[in-house]
Amino acid sequence: MERIVGIDLGTTNSLIAFVDGDTPRVIPDAQTGDPLLPSVVAFLSDGQIEVGQNAKALLADQPLTTIQSVKRFMGLGMEHVSTEDHRRYRFADEAGIVRFALPSHPYTAPEVSAFILRALRDRAEASLKEPVRKVVITVPAYFNDSQRQATKDAGRLAGLEVVRLVNEPTAASLAYGLDKKEEGLIAVYDLGGGTFDISILRLHTGIFEVLATNGDTRLGGDDIDQRIAERFLLSEVPETLRHDPHVASSARRMAEQAKRALSDHDETQLRLEVPEKKVQLTRVLTRKELEAAVDDIVARTLAPCRQALKDAGLEPREIDEVVMVGGSTRMPLVRQRVGEFFGRKPLTDLNPDEVVALGAAVQADTLAGRRKDMLLLDVVPLSLGIETMGGVMSRLIERNTTIPTSVKEMYTTAVDDQTAVDIHVLQGERELVQDCRSLARFKVPIDPQPAGMPRVEVTFMIDANGILNVAASDMRTGHERSVEVKPSYGLTDEEIERLLEESIDFAEDDVTHRLIIEARTEADTLLHVTEKQLHQYAVFLEPNEEARIRAAVSALQEAKSGEDYNRMRDLIEELGTVSAPFAQRIMDKSIGEVLGGKELGRV
Amino acid sequence: MTTGTALRCWRCAHEHPATLFCPQCSAVQQLSPQIDYFSVFGLPLRPAIDEAALTQQYYDLSRRLHPDLYQTGTAEEKDASLNNTVLLNRAYRTLRDLVSRGQYWLELQGESLGKDNNRVPSTLAALVFEVQEKLAEVREARETGKAESCKAELAAIRTELDGQMGRLRGALGENLAQWTGEQRSLDLLSQLKRLLSEIAYLRTLSRDVEKESEALWNA
Repeated sequence: MERIVGIDLGTTNSLIAFVDGDTPRVIPDAQTGDPLLPSVVAFLSDGQIEVGQNAKALLADQPLTTIQSVKRFMGLGMEHVSTEDHRRYRFADEAGIVRFALPSHPYTAPEVSAFILRALRDRAEASLKEPVRKVVITVPAYFNDSQRQATKDAGRLAGLEVVRLVNEPTAASLAYGLDKKEEGLIAVYDLGGGTFDISILRLHTGIFEVLATNGDTRLGGDDIDQRIAERFLLSEVPETLRHDPHVASSARRMAEQAKRALSDHDETQLRLEVPEKKVQLTRVLTRKELEAAVDDIVARTLAPCRQALKDAGLEPREIDEVVMVGGSTRMPLVRQRVGEFFGRKPLTDLNPDEVVALGAAVQADTLAGRRKDMLLLDVVPLSLGIETMGGVMSRLIERNTTIPTSVKEMYTTAVDDQTAVDIHVLQGERELVQDCRSLARFKVPIDPQPAGMPRVEVTFMIDANGILNVAASDMRTGHERSVEVKPSYGLTDEEIERLLEESIDFAEDDVTHRLIIEARTEADTLLHVTEKQLHQYAVFLEPNEEARIRAAVSALQEAKSGEDYNRMRDLIEELGTVSAPFAQRIMDKSIGEVLGGKELGRV
Repeated sequence: MTTGTALRCWRCAHEHPATLFCPQCSAVQQLSPQIDYFSVFGLPLRPAIDEAALTQQYYDLSRRLHPDLYQTGTAEEKDASLNNTVLLNRAYRTLRDLVSRGQYWLELQGESLGKDNNRVPSTLAALVFEVQEKLAEVREARETGKAESCKAELAAIRTELDGQMGRLRGALGENLAQWTGEQRSLDLLSQLKRLLSEIAYLRTLSRDVEKESEALWNA
């Protein structure tokens, strides 16, 4: 049975987890032991790419080419990009899919995310000592179809098979429910770095049934950091420097650190240092001030909570347990507000950073056929429909419908002799087309008929990933046209294929580059040592030995200037072999000297 | 559980009465998309059901049919489990709620609420008139900045509508309980139509009140 691992591809941090025996475990970084991989990708001017902590360290130095919170851009078009984002990054195009302008060439959000996924896969392969190919990736429950497609695309671009997308709060409930053997109604409040989800579930003998979900895919801890940074810039920083990317980037990092500190302390020092700009400013921030500044952001999470409960037909007090997920739920203010809303103390004893990844691993185990005692029944977060006469959205699938699901609806024409019917697929809760998210448009060819005569049957099918497929057929001719809905701001299959080919080439280049550098470094060390020994210990050389060693040295020196790392390795070994007896004599002599020295001392 | 017509197993070609799993080789079998929602749950064709038992049955069937459990299965198994689950989910969603179950029952009788559904049912005329008038008052007060004073009034309207909805649902439940077997009663049918039409209208009215409430709280 092939193993499937679980990935939490987060706005701020990402994690990878697997099930070890019966227990889900997060795989930490082999060097640092840190379970979190910062979701940061830095693009260096020499074409190198850094991911994680190394990339995060570059944020202050090169803010424009270090991409942070890329999840916020998944499945979006340029029209959704905020002015703040425009200040933060440089984009390649004015319209269409979001492409970051970066040193080598422009990158889309799924491509940037693929670097994070590859880093996680490498981590897992090194730890599990086996290839990792199949994954479950979590997404915010409130992600729309485009955002889900973009996440799947990121997986494909990383060379992974995304077996399933699982909603983050649902994954968290799995880890929680299996852990506590809980039954009853639970609310999962998931406030991450960039997204907010609330899900209401019924847990019953291993069934995890989502009753309702709601949220905001652009609301999270980032907004809190942004608010603190903005206030600080406004009150402490000269106007000429406020919009400088280095200053702004440093201010955000300062804000994040202060926010964390204030979860445990009553006050902290805000310290902004930008040596390049000769800026060094400090100010004390108290928890009270922080809470007053961000209270409205926290309060914005409560409207989705209200709506989810209403959709589930429940009152806050009927919830048996409130589970807190996401790093931002460490803030005392968040816990307090949520506690007040549900009228009970939220559960905070699970690690809010890890619980989603652990749940993803559990679901991965079920999909791998290794586990039969639990089952997720999840829902579609937003209604789906198509545009009808007068710019009105006609709903075919209501939000919170359990997936997989499908629905058929019959449509006709409004004008005589139409040769095609335009199908405009929409997602959202508003009545007017202009207020909903446009997912895709396609045409169904029909035989010309008087208005109202053609009968076009449209079938919506939502799979277990929450991804939509649409089929349409002309009932008169029986011509069926199955359309896989490709999002307006997604990548086409051809684009993904092309990017995949490029990335494989690139990955090979990358590895080759690393091997060359490693071989050169080793050669340099060896050449240096050999040269020194030849000079210092010439007396130990035997006849002809120096000539043989010199020959090996120059061969290696010549290879070192080339690109053939295999040849470098061979010559490194040869030089080692040729000079081994000489090195041995030096060693013996040194030991003799040490011993001799001691003897001398005794005298 | 049987589902009517006979079927031939896709795996072992065993002929059997339509069941979810082949009695011979226990492979999952594809349900006919034409099957009625009651039969999906193995329930008799009657609109009064035990909702708790329905939920339990839904969980039990999900545990055996869900596509997650067939990820490593054959293409036929994956297909059957996906299609069956789609049908099961739709059947459960329809039957678990009294009103959607009533509407479905009406469809099974070859009837529908039809176009005249937009007309105000005569039994609700007085209530509708009263609510619309109050809504107009509240809207005016909100626009002139006297939102606070209307909150109590709007809450009273909502309570009244909720009460009315409760009464109608009660009557609907009683109606559905009187249907037995295949026999069709014209009286019951016309009463069912009237109740469903009144409920649909009341829902629209409640939505209007809801919208106004939201506007009021945001003011």
